[in-house]
Amino acid sequence: MESLVVETPESLDELVECLKRADKNTYLLAGGTDLIIRMRRSKIYSGKVIDLSGINELKKIKEESKYLRIGALVTHSMISENDKIKEFFPALMEASSQVGSTQIRNRGTIAGNIANSSPCADTVPPLMTSSAKVRTINGKGEIKERDIDEVVKGSGFNYLQKDEAIIEIIIPKLGNEYLSAFGKLGSRTAVTIAKINGAILVKMDSTGKKIKKAYVSLGALGPKAFRSKIVEDRLIGKEISRQLFHDLCNSLIEQVDLAIKGRSSHPYKREAIKGMAQDIFIRLFGSGVLENEKK
Amino acid sequence: MKLEFTVNGQDYTLDVNPDDRLLDVLRDKLGLTSVKEGCSEGECGACTVIMDGAAVTSCTVLAIQARGKEIITVEGLEKNGELDELQKSFIKNGAVQCGFCTPGMLMSSKALLMKNPNPTEEEIKRAIEGNLCRCTGYVKIIKAVKDVIEG
Ligand SMILES: Cc1cc2nc3c(=O)[nH]c(=O)nc-3n(C[C@H](O)[C@H](O)[C@H](O)COP(=O)(O)OP(=O)(O)OC[C@H]3O[C@@H](n4cnc5c(N)ncnc54)[C@H](O)[C@@H]3O)c2cc1C
Repeated sequence: MESLVVETPESLDELVECLKRADKNTYLLAGGTDLIIRMRRSKIYSGKVIDLSGINELKKIKEESKYLRIGALVTHSMISENDKIKEFFPALMEASSQVGSTQIRNRGTIAGNIANSSPCADTVPPLMTSSAKVRTINGKGEIKERDIDEVVKGSGFNYLQKDEAIIEIIIPKLGNEYLSAFGKLGSRTAVTIAKINGAILVKMDSTGKKIKKAYVSLGALGPKAFRSKIVEDRLIGKEISRQLFHDLCNSLIEQVDLAIKGRSSHPYKREAIKGMAQDIFIRLFGSGVLENEKK
Repeated sequence: MKLEFTVNGQDYTLDVNPDDRLLDVLRDKLGLTSVKEGCSEGECGACTVIMDGAAVTSCTVLAIQARGKEIITVEGLEKNGELDELQKSFIKNGAVQCGFCTPGMLMSSKALLMKNPNPTEEEIKRAIEGNLCRCTGYVKIIKAVKDVIEG
């Protein structure tokens, strides 16, 4: 029986050389928290693995005037602890800090999370709300930039070519007028049916009280996360109030009904999403709004 | 494939199979049987070791990915015939019952203490959330870690 071959590029140039020879039996390996388990489950013991983990230039978070550039191999732990990501895009920080467990966050990478394209990948909803770009390199050394939607196909598949690797995720530095938050319920495997996640990004008007723009992305309601126009429309132009919270809940339920009516998970998720809405709402606007009006 | 790395302070050069996991090499090639194979899917934490200062599940790491790295297992905690404070505290607090999760629990808490010698209870819980215990129910384990901080 043919055995597995592992290549270990230590730089981008060496990676391009490896990608040149990539075929349908080539697997890119980052942290391994999805791939190693999947290869063993599917009993894949031949083919070629390109281990990216030695490419140090992909392990940095860089700040530029308008963007943060997150290297493909940046782990969930690094994102959770990064002050710049916390400052400019807290939703992503929150998503990474809620992935799996400490051990998984120490190994699992942002590019692996995107490329793995699971319906409930936690970094995908936040990235979809911002105009994040995914930069890739291929076996010819060509670099491309795409929207996250053009990379994630869903249900565990992506649109990357066999000779393509993600090298960077670029996120805009959002100013003070932007607020963002992530929420999730349920764990990945324990009861898969109970998993739900989502992110909201809003731009406030000059008074800081009214929502000018809204971007909402929901995961685990289909093959991949998607932007919810229904929920976004319900938020735009509204002032922060208890009523806004009810509108958020109702529009989320409407969206759940549309997405998964008839599925066995539908009755649960339509209730559970209210809990997620409350977490996100409090992270965005503080708990005061909901408490004050209760009295 | 040739794997050069450091385990419990000692340098090794080993011949490993491309599909060996770090778990396989530590257990089968180096005989470090404190590293337990539980679920094999990163869920239970029994195979946790410290790699370059961070707790990782050795069942989700390919052995060759450990090249150039420093690994610590439970066997490396004992110094000059004396158990680590954390190990003593686990014994004193009855934090060990069947014992299968114990090595993983120790390594997750050790990694935490190496980074942060003064963690809060929340931080302890977060550090061991990827380690499943089905006997003691965590309370004694958390107490054992807290005792080490309080000295
Ligand atoms: C116990 C456990 C709990 C988990 N919990 C969560 C959770 O709560 N939320 C969540 O979202 N995920 C979770 N995961 C899944 C996983 O940890 C994440 O998706 C992680 O981000 C994957 O990153 P990785 O570097 O380990 O990917 P790998 O396993 O190395 O790779 C995953 C896939 O991405 C591809 N890939 C990796 N890097 C690149 C690249 N640079 N360019 C192109 N393709 C690439 C690989 O070929 C493979 O197909 C969990 C996993 C485990 C084992």
